[in-house]
Amino acid sequence: MDLQLNFAILVGKLISLFLKISGSGATAAPGLYALKIDPDLVKKLAGKLKSGSIIISGTNGKTTTARLVSEILSTKYRIIHNRQGSNLLRGIASTMILKSCIAGNLNFDLGVWEIDEATLPEAIYNLDPKKVILINLFRDQLDRYGEVDTVRGNWQKSLLNLSKNTQLILNADDPGISFLSKFTKARIFYFGVNDTKINLPTIDHVADIKYCLNCSTKLIYKSLFSAHLGHYYCPNCNLKRPSPKVYANNLLFRKDFSTSIKLNVNCQLSIVNCHLPGLYNVYNILAAVALCSFYKIDLAEMKIQIQKFSTAFGRFQQISIGSKSVTIFLIKNPTGANEVLRVLATQNNLNLLIILNDKIADGRDVSWIWDTQWEAIIGKVKNISVAGIRGWDMATRLKYAGLTLSKKYVYEEISYSIANSLSKLDNNDTLIILPTYTALLDVQRSLSKLAGGKKWHEQ
Amino acid sequence: MHLTICHLYPDLMDTYGDMGNITAIVKRCQWRGIKINLKNVGVGDSLIVNDFDLYFFGGGQDKAQVIVGKDLKSKKTALVKSIDSGAVLLSICGGYQLLQKYFKTMDGTVIDGIGLFDAYTLGSKDRMIQNLLIKINPDLQTQINVAYHKTKYIIHDTNLVGFENHSGKTYLGKKVKPLGTVIKGSGNNGEDKTEGAIYKNAFGCYLHGSLLPKNPHFADYLITKALARRYGIVKLKTLDDSIEWQAHNSAMARTRSQS
Repeated sequence: MDLQLNFAILVGKLISLFLKISGSGATAAPGLYALKIDPDLVKKLAGKLKSGSIIISGTNGKTTTARLVSEILSTKYRIIHNRQGSNLLRGIASTMILKSCIAGNLNFDLGVWEIDEATLPEAIYNLDPKKVILINLFRDQLDRYGEVDTVRGNWQKSLLNLSKNTQLILNADDPGISFLSKFTKARIFYFGVNDTKINLPTIDHVADIKYCLNCSTKLIYKSLFSAHLGHYYCPNCNLKRPSPKVYANNLLFRKDFSTSIKLNVNCQLSIVNCHLPGLYNVYNILAAVALCSFYKIDLAEMKIQIQKFSTAFGRFQQISIGSKSVTIFLIKNPTGANEVLRVLATQNNLNLLIILNDKIADGRDVSWIWDTQWEAIIGKVKNISVAGIRGWDMATRLKYAGLTLSKKYVYEEISYSIANSLSKLDNNDTLIILPTYTALLDVQRSLSKLAGGKKWHEQ
Repeated sequence: MHLTICHLYPDLMDTYGDMGNITAIVKRCQWRGIKINLKNVGVGDSLIVNDFDLYFFGGGQDKAQVIVGKDLKSKKTALVKSIDSGAVLLSICGGYQLLQKYFKTMDGTVIDGIGLFDAYTLGSKDRMIQNLLIKINPDLQTQINVAYHKTKYIIHDTNLVGFENHSGKTYLGKKVKPLGTVIKGSGNNGEDKTEGAIYKNAFGCYLHGSLLPKNPHFADYLITKALARRYGIVKLKTLDDSIEWQAHNSAMARTRSQS
């Protein structure tokens, strides 16, 4: 018996029950208070998972990758997963509390944990993971996370603590991620894109790495895919893109937002057609496949799971409202938003609603919209309007991008902006909403009312 | 008419969304039929005195700032001479710091700047991260009032609004004046209520946001000053800045509500 742990779980469960009754969507609160009672709660409960824990982190794609991993591994294992994306230590604790009994028994084989970039060191310490996937690292909410170099510095120190039996799975195409292989005893495995050309519109990128992290010489790219992702080498020292064992070829991005990928997994080939748009999702799939290849899942089984996978909660989420439809793409930083704009630039006659908030979870600094290439959708837009706390900043950005916007298309209120945009939409047309994180929660609430009470945030 | 613009180290000092300042100047000139010649000048490129009317120098990551700091020494003479002969410069955050005399980090390391601004910066433990609202220096405001005309659309104020994100505390010497007085936020150092620096037509500050798009009065002032070198006093065509002022006002309201 561990009374401290049992009491912490009990308190957590009571808070969670209370929140459920009051209808709140706060998923982190039970963990937050339980960790005050037993700070080692996550460490203790993680130790009870027979096959240990998997950590998935990176600036963009961790929610989608974790969900995909969880779907694939569920075919063989009992998975515990912070599916709702509450990805700080308290979120992990909340998930564990909800799924354990008061005695602290967890009837699962394997933990799949999406982890916030700033929480990675703490998560590695508490979860003692068997596998760690690092997808990418881009500038993101500088007021909260600090600079990319700072985040990477903290990761470096933390990776030193991984044992030599841990499997570290890295993106070969991100020089800031592959560079981390130098700072660990863990075994390294790479994934990447082997195509040299991508059939998406080109865009002016913001790259956080242009100079070699070893010797400060300007890096040379044989192919540049997005931000600083690509096939790079340093002309001065030995730094270069490592060859991945799991890689993608023959990428085809279709107008209906679907993607075809030729996957090569440890020399086995498979062509996958999935309902996920954009290059960023190719990386999410590669990361998930690379990881699952260590759990002896057949490539054919992985293909089935990938092809039937649909992202949820704001990441390319499609909803029907009567004869009209809504597609939501969460935007939260310049690299992610640029990739979304690249996908949108393959379309014509777009009906867009962009919602910019500046709460803590969005990043209080809205400067990033000026690092985002809204110019990419010039000539592709039928209607465009904006909303959110910093809607006028967004309107200014669009004006300077050369996208015509009249003052009456700047809305104060999010629910009104959606209702009004939908009412102006022709039948069978699609409204594309690009919200920042806290705006997404409001968007879900408004749409849920319009669609008759469906609650996506509880999925 | 045409205007030549130099973007200093755009590939390294590009982290904080300062690119919007270049966009604002370029667009506001193009909307008035003023031709723009924009050149990127980076590490290893040469800089010749008086090649440009307007210089822009944004903020970057600490590591990039070290690379840029070394290279900037080779451009010091040309840059200082250009400013002394009336060229306009806007520098923000990291760029502002590198143009001062020095930056002393927390562990005592001194990184030399080029001393265009009579100022220095000391590393500190506090990170000053928040919306920043300042009242423009009264002398400068008088000049802005001449350059930027009020129209029926505009209730135009005497403030600049943006977002600061720095841990260095800047202290001004006698040869520079502050860009403004802090109304809300930290500014140069969080102590003396000053924000930014003015030396001739060179300006430094901690205002990201981007600054110029939602502070169009300051944008037009910089354009007027930059054109004045070739064309004397130019009266800029009035633009409809109603969206920009809405952004300015909503950012200001957001800043005033911050604790």
